[in-house]
Amino acid sequence: MSGDSTLARLAAERATGALHGCVGALYLADGAVVHAESPAVPDVGWRLTAGGRLSPESWDEAVEEGGPDYRAGSFLVEHGRLSRGELELCHLSALFDAAYFVLSPLDTTQRVPDRFLKEAKHWFGPVRPVSVPLLQREVRRRRCLLERAWPRPEVDAAPVVPVAGAGGAGRGGPLPPTCGRQAVLAAADGVRTPLQIARALGRSAFATLLDVRRLAAAGLVRTPEADLPGTAVRPARLSPPAPTAAAPEISLLYRIRDALEAL
Amino acid sequence: MTGIDGCLAEAMAIPGARGASLVDWTSGLALGVAGEGPGGDHETSAADAAELARLAFENAAFTRSAAGPGPVEDVIVTARGGYHLIRFVETAFDSSVFLYLWLDRAEANLAVALFRLKALAGRLVVT
Repeated sequence: MSGDSTLARLAAERATGALHGCVGALYLADGAVVHAESPAVPDVGWRLTAGGRLSPESWDEAVEEGGPDYRAGSFLVEHGRLSRGELELCHLSALFDAAYFVLSPLDTTQRVPDRFLKEAKHWFGPVRPVSVPLLQREVRRRRCLLERAWPRPEVDAAPVVPVAGAGGAGRGGPLPPTCGRQAVLAAADGVRTPLQIARALGRSAFATLLDVRRLAAAGLVRTPEADLPGTAVRPARLSPPAPTAAAPEISLLYRIRDALEAL
Repeated sequence: MTGIDGCLAEAMAIPGARGASLVDWTSGLALGVAGEGPGGDHETSAADAAELARLAFENAAFTRSAAGPGPVEDVIVTARGGYHLIRFVETAFDSSVFLYLWLDRAEANLAVALFRLKALAGRLVVT
């Protein structure tokens, strides 16, 4: 991927600035990634206010007071709004989440950012810089996790439709989805897509996508029928990235076999 | 305590500690590491621990109780040579992280380690 090599070059040059495009931006400082933003994922402010950890007023105050000096994040800690640990956890979670959708856009017609604005800084300020190789490895791992969970990227962008009456199909009795997945299933109204559910819950978009794939694999969420695998080559522009070309087909066949046996 | 690194430094001060990390169990990513990892590699052990953590955390069998469902707090693995402790970190915003502590069995006291890890996980997210 060209985005990967651009990023590797910027890391090698210890560049500072923003690598940006229509799918979002990665901010670098001295060649390490210090911030990432993508319209696909809830940002730090949304995550902190959605669950009530911060009031919208506290958040706005940090942006207004700390933003001009590029240190809105540190402002929250210095004024006792968050612990340093909370800031780091929330920011890293948002950073890796956004970076995934910047480097691996759901809509494959979109290009990975290739424009670099030198010396651009983000108003949130650096929290815990992430090395470019680590970030790239993590993006690859996340792609593989989605593929392993349920190799049908059609569910990523489609409305999440719960399967009526499903839920008792697993071996050894009913297996209700729990925790995050429970919330995702409860928010699935047949209209909202996985990313819209993530936004509504103030939750990681990647984790939500993974939940939806797992729910689909468990038969609790409908997988769109549109294009059955193996019948035709899907037009690349409609399908989100499929990192490995050959492997998914085999794992898909195994899954179909397992699903049939479980009936 | 100053953030993730401070928390891990304190975890390494627990008697018998050989390695500590803070791991996101959605993907198995280590957000911070200290000391050594089992097998000399934090990245692999974080991913392995994350699989175990996710199984425990998401399985309703472990979250049922007489008083109603409650989240899993710790996962404890005792092995011939060591203890592996997973302590889930509860946050007031969406997250999926745990502290992972690897202890030398001959030097560690399991009860003490559990107690101190619990306190650390709490203090990481308290202002």
